[in-house]
Amino acid sequence: MKFIERELGQGVRLHLCETDKFKSLTCKVFIQQDLKGKDATSTALLPLLLRRGSQKFPSTLHIARELEDLYAAELGSDVLKIGERQILEFYLQMVDPNLLPEGDTLLERGLRTFWEIFTQPQGPGDRFVDSYFEQERSTLEQDLKGLVNDRRSYALARFVALMCADEPFGIYKYGDLDTLTQLTNGDVFEHYQNLLWKYPVDIFCVGRNLDRVAKLFASLIPSRDRTTQLETATKIQVDDERFFEETMDLNQAVLAMGYRTNRTYLDDDYYALLVANGILGGFAHSKLFMNVREKASLAYYVGSNIEGSKGLMTITAGISDDKQEEALQIIKEQVTAMQQGEITPDELEQTKRGLIGAMTSINDNPAGIIDRNLIGIVEGELRTIDQVVESIRRVEYDACIRVMQDIKLDTTYILRPQSTEPKEQEGAYHGDH
Amino acid sequence: METIKTPTGDTIYSKTLSNGLTCFVLPKPKFLRTYGVLSARYGSLDSRFRLKGSGQADAPIGVPAGIAHFLEHKLFEEEEGNVFGRFAEWGASVNAFTSYNQTSYLFTTTENWKGCLTLLMEFVNRPFLTKENVEKEKGIIVQELQMYADHPDHRIHTLLLENLYHEHPVRLDIGGTVESVQSITVEDLFRCYNTFYQPNNLALAVVGDVDPKETLQIIEANYPAWTKEQGAIERLYPEEPRGVKSDWVEEQLHISQPRYLLGFKHEPLWQGEDLLRQQVIMSIALRLIAGRSSISYGNLYEADLINDSFGASFNGDPQYAYSVIGSETRDPDALHAQLRTIIDGLKAGGVSASDVERLKRQLHGAHLASYDSFEYTANRLISYYFREMPLHKYLDLLQSVTTEEVQEALVRQLDWDHATISIIRPVINND
Repeated sequence: MKFIERELGQGVRLHLCETDKFKSLTCKVFIQQDLKGKDATSTALLPLLLRRGSQKFPSTLHIARELEDLYAAELGSDVLKIGERQILEFYLQMVDPNLLPEGDTLLERGLRTFWEIFTQPQGPGDRFVDSYFEQERSTLEQDLKGLVNDRRSYALARFVALMCADEPFGIYKYGDLDTLTQLTNGDVFEHYQNLLWKYPVDIFCVGRNLDRVAKLFASLIPSRDRTTQLETATKIQVDDERFFEETMDLNQAVLAMGYRTNRTYLDDDYYALLVANGILGGFAHSKLFMNVREKASLAYYVGSNIEGSKGLMTITAGISDDKQEEALQIIKEQVTAMQQGEITPDELEQTKRGLIGAMTSINDNPAGIIDRNLIGIVEGELRTIDQVVESIRRVEYDACIRVMQDIKLDTTYILRPQSTEPKEQEGAYHGDH
Repeated sequence: METIKTPTGDTIYSKTLSNGLTCFVLPKPKFLRTYGVLSARYGSLDSRFRLKGSGQADAPIGVPAGIAHFLEHKLFEEEEGNVFGRFAEWGASVNAFTSYNQTSYLFTTTENWKGCLTLLMEFVNRPFLTKENVEKEKGIIVQELQMYADHPDHRIHTLLLENLYHEHPVRLDIGGTVESVQSITVEDLFRCYNTFYQPNNLALAVVGDVDPKETLQIIEANYPAWTKEQGAIERLYPEEPRGVKSDWVEEQLHISQPRYLLGFKHEPLWQGEDLLRQQVIMSIALRLIAGRSSISYGNLYEADLINDSFGASFNGDPQYAYSVIGSETRDPDALHAQLRTIIDGLKAGGVSASDVERLKRQLHGAHLASYDSFEYTANRLISYYFREMPLHKYLDLLQSVTTEEVQEALVRQLDWDHATISIIRPVINND
């Protein structure tokens, strides 16, 4: 699955993957900017505001009915965070028009609707509809406060905010409550216009008849001669390990540990880092899963992952509150073991195959084919699936040890239950058998 | 070998083997991944049963809640360790899940799918259960239950079902309780395994760039012989009163804003094709209330009574049926009052033919799109087969549904005399 790239103007790139493999047409637009305090919150409001209505489809109801008429087209927007960039995403997925009664006219109608909704919001021209703005500000406020409802996501967000308090990476992808209360409708609209027309844009499409899609996008996007330059992610030296503990009314403790990897996407040995992470905690055959879960029975979930743009390895686990010392000890032993060279040929081989299998599978999923390029557009170097597979294949034992020796523990965070008394809420079921 | 054409132009091949196992193969040319799933018609609801003609005593057998899910965890264990590593040798991944009425074991791979398929059949048919490894698993499962107990969506759903039903096991968590899990023994697990994992109670589906004939041959040649008891499984369910146990329940959790969930308990009247038709009708009916294109969605959103979490679903089985409608909300009582007005308005003749036609178009598109997902397609082949629902008739059924049927379903099924409201409110903190 290869993309052909076309430049539609300075900083605007169209990536096309022509294939008849899927029953759908998928398009995604990514606009990137530096992750910054005020802008982050403004950007987070945009997906909420844009779904409220456009010039042609003035309300959520009108948009929803148009999408139903397009045979359940899915259209949406979100905000993503890759390293120290915040990315505004618009996406469209519709059934391949060739499978439908109205056929051809649906393709153009779908794309025009998509572009109109995301670039022509309902409003007087210099701001969003005031009532929409006030309401979506309150929606975002609820979303930010609601982070607490998903314990694992909440713990991870707190952990990142604490560990990276002095770096842009510490900013939450949907911004923060303080900024939100200060934003005006005019501020957000101005930021939106800047983003649309002055920041780097990447458009990806996967499906059939992409020549028509390309022509249509070319006619819809005004040309530009300048695009804002972006920063690269900050690098940090770790001095002392830090430890944070917070409490909540919970049944289970959530543990997060952050290591600085001192290697990112553009470095040599980046794929060795991915393999090493896989051996440690990326699979069901990994050291963490085998030792923390299968041998010691301490957790249902435990694993590790890599943020390749910023250079972080994060280990997370859900554990019983009275077992956290034990769990921490076993986790640290696994990291140390790898640094001392304890990687078996089976572990190395199984992990490489697992990563290659996962990478190859992406070819079967249109949204995945697109999303895997995100780190590439942030780092300014797109790589094909075949290139990545080849790089993983070449990773050797020595490189895995080397990258593990270079990681450094920065922060350990635990979200603990408020009381250590076991909860009895399941007791209601008792006696049924 | 039977064949069925899908509306997206693919062909599904199926065959029931001499041992009773039913198999489905859906070839997907050009795709690199292969997905295989082996499912037992056995879930959390099957905790009282009899195996006829097995030589066992005729007395019904009762086992602790959560045992189907416990078995699902344990089948991965082997004498030499666990089966994860063996799939990993081919870069494949393996997983499983348990529902009310089904336990499924699955793999996904881009390498050596034949090896994966054989290994899948092998490990599901070779339980390795010891007192020690069963005890060890309890710690892991208790952590899994605790994780779900901390999930507000999971909690409100459980709370609703506990109060919608008096006796039926659908009211219990699929994983059981900390106590029931602690009480499970090796003997319980073997008794359930021997009863529910006989091949005629299982189905297997493979989706990928595979040859259907060859795939069926591999299954037939490698499916392990079943030497344990065989017989007709009789599932026993307690008598469930028609009414709800309680019509209003509340609880507190550490969350940012209240959650509201309304449930309607239906009389389980449908099987096979009727059940599928009812699913389609209820999908349309509930979209009129909670769909993004409904007037009520817009009004409730404007009134700041719902957010994106607002949704509704119908859950139907020959044994039980209920619908739920719910959202996070700043004011559950006001949301309830509004929903009551909306639902009563629709019941009083508010269903428009053009709305129904538009929603049928949406369901048509969604049905076509669903064939792009291997997982969804394979799992649906099996779950429809277990419930005798004719997947190939879906689009015809959809086209034949009338506005009157939707109107009638609203009146009959959304009956306030058989409704429960469950609410979770934020804990009031003093610190």
